[in-house]
Amino acid sequence: MKQFFYKLCITLIAIPAFCNAVFAQFDVNGTVTSNKGEELIGVTVSVKNTNTGTVTNENGKYSIHVSGSSATLVFSYLGFRTQEKAVSSAGSVNISLEESNTELDEVIVSGLATTVKRTNSANAVAAISAKQLTGITTQSTLDGAIYGKFTGAQITQSSGAPGGGIGIRMRGITSINAPAQPLFIIDGIYIDNSSIAAGLNTISNAAGGGNTAVFDQDNASNRIADIDPGDIETIEILKGASAAAIYGSRASAGVVIITTKRGKNARKDRANVEFTQSLGFQTMLNPQGTREWDADKVAASFGEGEVENFTSAESSGTLHDYENELYGNKGLLSDTRLSFSNATDKSSFYTSISHKSEDGIVENTGYTKTSLRFNLDHKVSDRIDLAVSTNYVKSSADRGYFNNDNTSTTMGISFAGTPSWAQLQADEEGNYPDNPYSAANFLQTRDLMTNNEAVDRFIGGANLTTKIVTNDRHSLKLILNGGLDAYTFQTTAIFPKELQFEKNGNGTNGASIQGTTSSFNDNESAFLVYSFFPASGGFNLRAQAGLTRESFERNTIIATATQLIGAQTNVSQAGSVDLYQFRSKQLDLGGFGQLEFNFNDKLILTAGLRGDKSSNNGDVNKIYYYPKASAALNLAEFAFWGVDNWNQFKLRVAYGQSGNFAPFGSAFTSLGSTIIEGTAGSLINTTQGNNDVGPERQSELEFGTDLGFMDNRFSVELTYYIKNVTDLLLVSLVPSSTGFVNKVTNAAELRNKGLEVGLGVDIIRKENFTWFNQTNFWFNKSEITQLDIPSYAVGSFGATLGTFYIQEGASATQIVGIGPTEGKDTSDNGLVVWGDAEPDFQISFNENLSWKNWELALVLHWKQGGDNVNLTTLLTDIFGTSPDYDDVTQDPDGTLANGPYRLSQLGTTAEVFVQDASYVRLREIGLYYTFGGLNSKTNNTLQSVKVGLSAYNALNFFDYPSYDPEVSNFGRNGISSGVEVNPFPSAKRFYASVTVNF
Amino acid sequence: MKFNHIKSRMFNTMIVVMLVAGFNSCKIEEQVDPNNPSLEGIEANATVDELNNLVTGMLSGMRNRFDTYLDDMSVIGRDYYRYSGSDPRFTSDLLGKESAVLDPNTFYTTNPWADHYRIVRNGWILRHAVANTSAALTAEQKNGYTGFAKTMQAQQMLNCLNMQYQNGIRIDVEDPENPGPFLSYDASLQGILDLLKAGYDDLNNSGDEFNFILTSGFTGFDTPATFAKFNRALAARVTLYKGDFAGVESLLNESFLDMAGDLTSGVYMVYSTSGGDLLNDAYTPLNSSTGSNARCAQPSFNTDAEAGDLRVASKTVLRDEPAFADDLTSNYDVWVYKSNVDPVCMVRNEELVLIHAEAMNQTGNSSAAVDAVNVIRASAGLAAYSGGTTQGELTNEILNQRRYSLFAEGHRWVDMRRYNKLGELPIDRPGDDVWVQFPRPANEEL
Repeated sequence: MKQFFYKLCITLIAIPAFCNAVFAQFDVNGTVTSNKGEELIGVTVSVKNTNTGTVTNENGKYSIHVSGSSATLVFSYLGFRTQEKAVSSAGSVNISLEESNTELDEVIVSGLATTVKRTNSANAVAAISAKQLTGITTQSTLDGAIYGKFTGAQITQSSGAPGGGIGIRMRGITSINAPAQPLFIIDGIYIDNSSIAAGLNTISNAAGGGNTAVFDQDNASNRIADIDPGDIETIEILKGASAAAIYGSRASAGVVIITTKRGKNARKDRANVEFTQSLGFQTMLNPQGTREWDADKVAASFGEGEVENFTSAESSGTLHDYENELYGNKGLLSDTRLSFSNATDKSSFYTSISHKSEDGIVENTGYTKTSLRFNLDHKVSDRIDLAVSTNYVKSSADRGYFNNDNTSTTMGISFAGTPSWAQLQADEEGNYPDNPYSAANFLQTRDLMTNNEAVDRFIGGANLTTKIVTNDRHSLKLILNGGLDAYTFQTTAIFPKELQFEKNGNGTNGASIQGTTSSFNDNESAFLVYSFFPASGGFNLRAQAGLTRESFERNTIIATATQLIGAQTNVSQAGSVDLYQFRSKQLDLGGFGQLEFNFNDKLILTAGLRGDKSSNNGDVNKIYYYPKASAALNLAEFAFWGVDNWNQFKLRVAYGQSGNFAPFGSAFTSLGSTIIEGTAGSLINTTQGNNDVGPERQSELEFGTDLGFMDNRFSVELTYYIKNVTDLLLVSLVPSSTGFVNKVTNAAELRNKGLEVGLGVDIIRKENFTWFNQTNFWFNKSEITQLDIPSYAVGSFGATLGTFYIQEGASATQIVGIGPTEGKDTSDNGLVVWGDAEPDFQISFNENLSWKNWELALVLHWKQGGDNVNLTTLLTDIFGTSPDYDDVTQDPDGTLANGPYRLSQLGTTAEVFVQDASYVRLREIGLYYTFGGLNSKTNNTLQSVKVGLSAYNALNFFDYPSYDPEVSNFGRNGISSGVEVNPFPSAKRFYASVTVNF
Repeated sequence: MKFNHIKSRMFNTMIVVMLVAGFNSCKIEEQVDPNNPSLEGIEANATVDELNNLVTGMLSGMRNRFDTYLDDMSVIGRDYYRYSGSDPRFTSDLLGKESAVLDPNTFYTTNPWADHYRIVRNGWILRHAVANTSAALTAEQKNGYTGFAKTMQAQQMLNCLNMQYQNGIRIDVEDPENPGPFLSYDASLQGILDLLKAGYDDLNNSGDEFNFILTSGFTGFDTPATFAKFNRALAARVTLYKGDFAGVESLLNESFLDMAGDLTSGVYMVYSTSGGDLLNDAYTPLNSSTGSNARCAQPSFNTDAEAGDLRVASKTVLRDEPAFADDLTSNYDVWVYKSNVDPVCMVRNEELVLIHAEAMNQTGNSSAAVDAVNVIRASAGLAAYSGGTTQGELTNEILNQRRYSLFAEGHRWVDMRRYNKLGELPIDRPGDDVWVQFPRPANEEL
């Protein structure tokens, strides 16, 4: 590492010393406007293949000095088609840029301190613009806003609970053990995306039976939900190691790089003050209905004794549709944003304040968030640029009480056990009767319990760019970057003692579970970027080297107070208090260097190396190296290329490695604390420590081609990747007669292969009518290529009900279970392979139409295949409350009704629980009308008003027999997404919105 | 220009040197677990406090999910139905509903196994720590620790063996990297017996007092001498299971068997509502709905009972409404534990009297057997035994008394299995099965 750095540094220092010949020179100036005639501020104007460049001022004017007798000027601007113009003499050159729907003209990240034009990139980096992100409909959370808008991801919303909770898999599963979620970086700041449980297991005992993951089933949200999607200018997604190697040990699950809006991008045609108000509602996405009862059915499912209760309720008209009572709330949605930006020669800023308020489809659930952002750019001098980003967020989510339990107390499970003739309503004094059919009266639970998550968060960072040397041939920049992300996260779960499951010796006589997490992350980096444009032309070179430091600290304390005194919720007002603390601390140090050669945009070669060490590794001072290399060949740039309507033909290949840390504490074998009769004791923890544990290593080879026809009216992006994860971290089971249950080891390899196709078509491109279509297609196949430990089941509730099963030679996400093996694929322990969580393929259609002042945009998303383990139906079957209990559609013999049939299969086969989770859904649709050109002599404040209607998940088509095939009882835990146990049902959202520009 | 050039070169060099130096000089400190004490430290050189923490850890930890063990044993032994709104497998897999079988990788198999062996591991940590500690302890005090550890390890392993039966268990698990083989059922019983004997020998050389405190569940058994009686009671049970009826009596003599004494005298696991402590999860409130968690007596427990048996009245309560789910109906709640802090018995005099009766019967001393049976019958408000006194008839009577005396405590299944009478257990639904043993936990086959 040392050697590498020295060599790089010597190169960096030596090259600027060369002297350069003097050539002819002249000045060019002019104005850059949009095709609508508005002057554009901040357009980059550069002399092709040189280091010379400038930007347009607030009147859209530029002036540039050209060395040599002729040159090509390049005009590029975000959201517009890049234009080139040959110049050979001094004078005025005015340019009109055309707005672009395609992504081909953007710049995308190429190193930790550099970007590259998309046309020159050797990686298929996905990019999402503000227009794609929030332009169609109002978004609830950031991660929910990106699905279907790029290839190569599987994104799963854990439940419909307000406040988010989403897991992302980029290019297949990359880790089996840890919740391997992408690294989020916003304006250079590492963003914490933890999912922190509230400690509900004390009440739900979800881990008491089949699954021992104490904190996984609490349905916690994840912290990227704090980011306001409305502040985002672009999102770039590095899906695999070939692109993400620059982020080394934290990048194996992909990197999401977010750039927020800035004042310097303020456009003349876009007003500086923008106010948006959206109002809407959400309703249950897919109501299941309830079973139609008669006396015989009541007797069969609930016993003869219940018939009388049923008939009397029937005759008195007090049969209830409890699905509607519990999930039928029309939740009001409101989203208010005010943003303001401005730019001068020296400084620019962007500031926004937004307030979001959402009521859930279950009463007393909801989400509010207030976010304040201030971004400042300042030119300290000709050589020094400063960019500062700050963001404060305060949010609060009431998430209800759902998911798996072993006490039948969650609202979902107590609802499942309750027939329509139960009388659960409170009397006039507000006293709720006990639910004789379940452990809980879910209406009482809904009305009296609290499960709140509250966040106070500050995210801030600064970036200082110093041009140390800059002339025609050389430039050397020093880029210093620092950021911090600090938050306090509070969970408040209150189960008052009058709840059915807390009183009279049930439960703990009330519980107040209050958690506080403080999290502080900071990251710093220093980079030198050197660019060299030799006088001979022919190529240019860019080198960068630098160091990074990231530190992460978290401290969680959960106080669980039970045996509450009266109605008190203060944890000290309790007969019994139990404390839990978890602390983690991680320090990573890294170095990164990269060289890029660009042969006149014809051939672009890149090679880089990152080295990382971390306190999370077994050997804390061992440096792990992650190399990368890539090549892009633009055939259409060569002189011999003479195909007029084929303007881009790029072949690209990229290779890179990245890593994933072992979970915190993997190296420790520890003793936990336990208490009996007030005496504390030490009990061995069931995870055996492993001092040899190291990071997972992912190697990805990606190759593909980018094609553009008819000036990019028709574009194709084709990528195939092979991604190998070696040293895969597994929580390998150990024989539990040793007293341990598992240990973390590097013990397997897996491979993902997949294809990604992007197809962009400007179907219609007329002045008053445009129609752009972007079609994305992708699939991924995984295989465990090596397993050093015996095959094992993981991540569900056992083979009777269907479980994931890690086995060499099989798909990493296969679902196996008991059942007749005849004619079926089987696992090595004789179980039947009933399914696979991996979709067969996914397709999304993104349509953008505009006609005069109308705009219509939509995202249609089709996920084909991918199976869930659905236990919701099983539980309603057991209670006899399944809506399709009496239908006869499933029994191959056609004799048993669905309910009895499925129950008869329990213990015989897991087939009925492993269900196809395919869907087609209209993820987003928005229709808008803009009243433009409002400013006149009498009115010089109001510029435009845009009104519209939009919806999220408005139309859904699936056979999956539950609320939503997109679900995860275990949150975003490594492998086990797609397991369903009576979740908070998903919702669809509808909005009306108005945007006013001043 | 030139000057600037030189200046920037110096600047560059400085920065580069700083960067490179920065990366190399920053050593990352080795981490210690900020959340927990480490195993290595305690095994290498524990303080007395740490040793005592390990003792308490065993006593506390052995209660973890003990209800699952009780449910497993009692449901298969047809003591009661375990209704659960959240998990259907209590009424399907455990009762062998239709084609359902016991799964080697499901909680009812794996959790009790792992939880028991976790205590065995803690026992080994305690034994290693005692061997290596430099704390000022006498040899007697050290023997007290090891005698305790071995006794509790044996008690825990016996529960595992009760579930696994002919699959056997691992007795030698000292080295977690290299655990010993699975032994046959008989060899496993012998291994447990040997461990108890080793513990007993330690206890006999432990002086008058332990250097640690036990819970209130050990009241009367909290000195080396009295704890040794608990050890011998367990040994008597294991010997009985072995079928070595002749060997039982001498062990009972060293135990706390007292034919005239309090039948409830014995060793218990205790619970409390205080902070961090556990509640007795084997307790379910009366009239719990089958949609939540309910434990209701298998109907034959009440219908088979002799009229006037106080144990029936005390251990079951007629429900307001019959419990019904999954085609299983019961009119009675199990009422062995009457609150969520009621203690759970490990062994008590009542069982020892019955062990004595059984051993007497099997060694041909039927009158002594009848005497012992009558002690139990009298305590249950029943008249003296008047049935036949052949060995077979008395065996049935003793099994019946064990059924009512040890109801819902996980004995019935083992007892019927010992006499090859599993076929006599009631079948609730056509197609149900009575299992002989649990499958070996899946992760033991690694």
